[in-house]
Amino acid sequence: MKSNRLIRKILLGAIVPVVILLVWHFASIGSVVVPSISSVVEVLAHPFSEPEGLDSTPLAFGAAVSILRVLCGFILAALSGVLIGLFIGRCKLAMETLSPVMSAAMAVSPIAWIPVTIIVFGLSSPATAIYGDRAWEHGLLDQLRFAIVAVIWMGAFFPIALNTAAGAAGVRAGHLETAKVLGATRRQILTKIVLPSAAPAILTGLRIGAGIAWRVIIAAEIFPGTRGGLGYMIATAHETASYEYAFAGIIVIAAIGLSLDGLLRMALVRVSRWQPRER
Amino acid sequence: MEPKRQVIRFENAGKCFSTPARPEVWAVRDFNLTCLEGELTCVLGPSGCGKTTLLRLAAGLEMPTMGKVCVNGSAVTNPPENIGVVSQEGDLLPWRRVLGNVALGLEIRGLDRQERTERAKKAINRVGLPSEVVQSFPHELSGGMRRRVALARAVCTNPRILLMDEPFSSLDELTRHRLQAELLQLWLSDRQTVLFVTHSLEEAVFLADRILVMTFGRTVAEFRLDLDRPRDRLGDEFIKVLLEVRRALTEHENAAADVS
Ligand SMILES: Nc1ncnc2c1ncn2[C@@H]1O[C@H](COP(=O)(O)OP(=O)(O)OP(=O)(O)O)[C@@H](O)[C@H]1O
Ligand SMILES: [Mg+2]
Repeated sequence: MKSNRLIRKILLGAIVPVVILLVWHFASIGSVVVPSISSVVEVLAHPFSEPEGLDSTPLAFGAAVSILRVLCGFILAALSGVLIGLFIGRCKLAMETLSPVMSAAMAVSPIAWIPVTIIVFGLSSPATAIYGDRAWEHGLLDQLRFAIVAVIWMGAFFPIALNTAAGAAGVRAGHLETAKVLGATRRQILTKIVLPSAAPAILTGLRIGAGIAWRVIIAAEIFPGTRGGLGYMIATAHETASYEYAFAGIIVIAAIGLSLDGLLRMALVRVSRWQPRER
Repeated sequence: MEPKRQVIRFENAGKCFSTPARPEVWAVRDFNLTCLEGELTCVLGPSGCGKTTLLRLAAGLEMPTMGKVCVNGSAVTNPPENIGVVSQEGDLLPWRRVLGNVALGLEIRGLDRQERTERAKKAINRVGLPSEVVQSFPHELSGGMRRRVALARAVCTNPRILLMDEPFSSLDELTRHRLQAELLQLWLSDRQTVLFVTHSLEEAVFLADRILVMTFGRTVAEFRLDLDRPRDRLGDEFIKVLLEVRRALTEHENAAADVS
């Protein structure tokens, strides 16, 4: 019974990918734009080899740069977003003054900020800050351009802060009072009541923020004037008509995005364990 | 015998709420009550008469708009130290298991884990909960069990004052009787000062040293009960007192209804 269901699940899940592969295969025959499946597999199979005829880095390096940028921006956004979100959620005045602005800011695609962040941060990176002129010798650190990290922060901060604020504002009065009559300090109320109560909302915010960050990084890297990362690789692949690199990049982007979301979803399930589930 | 200490004292206390829909609602007014140490006082009244507000005043969760509320001799401005509260909804923390809920007060006091667990388990035992539920989440329990957990949490820190807001309402009669008996047992051994709010006539007569009948925010009658415990709910004396209290309650309800 159980194995039957598993087979069914696998078969159903496989339908769409198989159809896509078939369509892809036939579309690639005699096409200049659509690369053959085998050429893309070839790229994916050698993630460390320098792409030929392409002003770009190996696939694995591009992925590492993109991941590093997203992680830095996302961690900064998570820390600042949760802190500010908690403050907004627990302080009515802050909620009323800040939340309309933040909702408006969230409606703006973070990509729109790229020109601004490039003007503000230029080509500076942790490497230029530490090593100055010799920054280019420190590849990965130099790729961690502040301009790009700032854009990621822009994309992830608002959903994290707003979700955290909603979670913190929605803590039941009865729960707060329970702790108060037991003599809890403000700090204990925060750690023992507000945080655990808002945890599912916070993690939902983190999940949305991470999703946005990952979409934004690719777009930011495609934006003219930036270098490195998967987005840059895809952009240059298009310019030089090396479409197998573009396709391989898209597949890697999907895989990383899926894993990132999977991790956060697991964390969300963990902190929401106490919520009675209706399925 | 030296006179007993005054533990909870309402002096002409009143609480007025104002909302856009109802600009002036006196939930409690001109309220006078003195609970002596070790006394079990029941406040009996119909829904909406201000019972919850009364308890919240004593718990320091609401400030009086008139008069004064004192606990242990000083005016209440914050929740007083060493009180146990069982609210009407129970208010268990849904993200904590039973053990974590019961141990909350001890955790806030900074006790180490081992002692917390030990004492919480003892409290869980005392309120008649089976020990296999300690690792359950509140939503996995029945209503009666949740009430017991709330009671265990309130007594776990050994408070000298217990404020209880209809802790056994919406339970079936049998379970309610069992919980009442368990509360009595706890109280007989620890002798906390208990302020117990209820809308159940029978519950009040079964538990109380003293019953205050409350309607529309005011005390309208007071009864002292010196029936032996445990009380026989079918005994002549019990029923006599019950009818007496009931008469006071309905009389004033009707009188108030006539006025309004
Ligand atoms: N926070 C509040 N804001 C406005 N009005 C309130 C508030 N709390 C209570 N009231 C009003 O005060 C009155 C008394 O309410 P209270 O909750 O004390 O009654 P109760 O006796 O506990 O009722 P029940 O038996 O149904 O629990 C009601 O008219 C209620 O609407
Ligand atoms: Mg009430």
